[in-house]
Amino acid sequence: MHPPDELEEYLRGDSALSRQYRKESAPAPPHALDRRILKLASGAQAKPPWLAPLAFAASVLLSVALVLAIVFGPQNPKRDEDAPRLLRIAAHSDVLPAASPNRKLQIYSSDPLRAHSPSAWLADIAALRRAGRNREADAEFRRFRSVYPDYSSGDIPIRP
Amino acid sequence: MESLDEDARLMLRYRDGDADAFLALYSRHKGPLYRYVLRQVRNAGAAADVFQEVWSRLVATRARYEARAKFATYLFHIAHNCIMDFFRRDLRLRRDARSDEAEPQFAEPEVPEYQRPDGIAEFAEQQSALLAALSSLPQEQREAFLLHEETGLTIEEIARVTDVGLETAKSRLRYAIRKLKKSLIAAHAPGSQDLRTARELKAAQLNAST
Repeated sequence: MHPPDELEEYLRGDSALSRQYRKESAPAPPHALDRRILKLASGAQAKPPWLAPLAFAASVLLSVALVLAIVFGPQNPKRDEDAPRLLRIAAHSDVLPAASPNRKLQIYSSDPLRAHSPSAWLADIAALRRAGRNREADAEFRRFRSVYPDYSSGDIPIRP
Repeated sequence: MESLDEDARLMLRYRDGDADAFLALYSRHKGPLYRYVLRQVRNAGAAADVFQEVWSRLVATRARYEARAKFATYLFHIAHNCIMDFFRRDLRLRRDARSDEAEPQFAEPEVPEYQRPDGIAEFAEQQSALLAALSSLPQEQREAFLLHEETGLTIEEIARVTDVGLETAKSRLRYAIRKLKKSLIAAHAPGSQDLRTARELKAAQLNAST
């Protein structure tokens, strides 16, 4: 059984124990720690507390909108004549555009059935011929014949 | 009660963007809070980390602050939680260290000094008899004593800070003061005026019991 007044006496605040404790050294936080915490508190104050949730909500909204736009947005069908257009312009101007080798490869090696109508394809071959690129024109013509064996080239100068 | 209102007012001002209010709050509470943390974790490095964590949490949660209770209760409740987190982390590290010792093929992990029992004992030995006795109390009793001494919290407030019932808080404080009183009596007993360290105190207690 505890003496009834032991705790009460202590809680009154003037016990020998409290006096002794107050006589002990009273360490305080180092100044570097003070500075770190005060900097932290003033740095946080520069940004209003509602800014972080607002920024988060905005970024979530933007991401969702972007995903919805990709999934449900209007689709632009690829037009068949898109690829050969470059060369058709060249055929009329007699100047081959300065396309990169990769771009040329993409144009000539694309699926002929999808990318070329026969007449446009022959015009492309003629353009190559006029530009003096006979080897490429020959190769392209062979591909053309494998796809359209009976198509008449007419007056188009596709042969050397 | 005036001081309670003043602290709460300062915290509300800080919440609403007044940086100077934080400075005033910090100046008032840094000493008691630092000693409360230091005398629980018993290592200056660890105490600095925990102390900073407490203030960081206060800053981070300032938007949700409402002056429902005494500000010290709010602050020391955060501190209590940070210290509990520290003890859990420390325990896990020590367990990991022990399990690695059982597997000698692995290199010994680096365990901070404050997590080693001998380091803690050394820390206690640098204290006066009262602080050494305080250091050797069970953590819950030590905490109850420190909360009362450093902040003047009542038993009810100590119970709220430490998430326990009123009777539990009362019992912890009662045991703490009883043990500390005994240690003071032993330290000031005739022929033991020069007792200054925990080791000497322990030896005196051993002699007294035999």
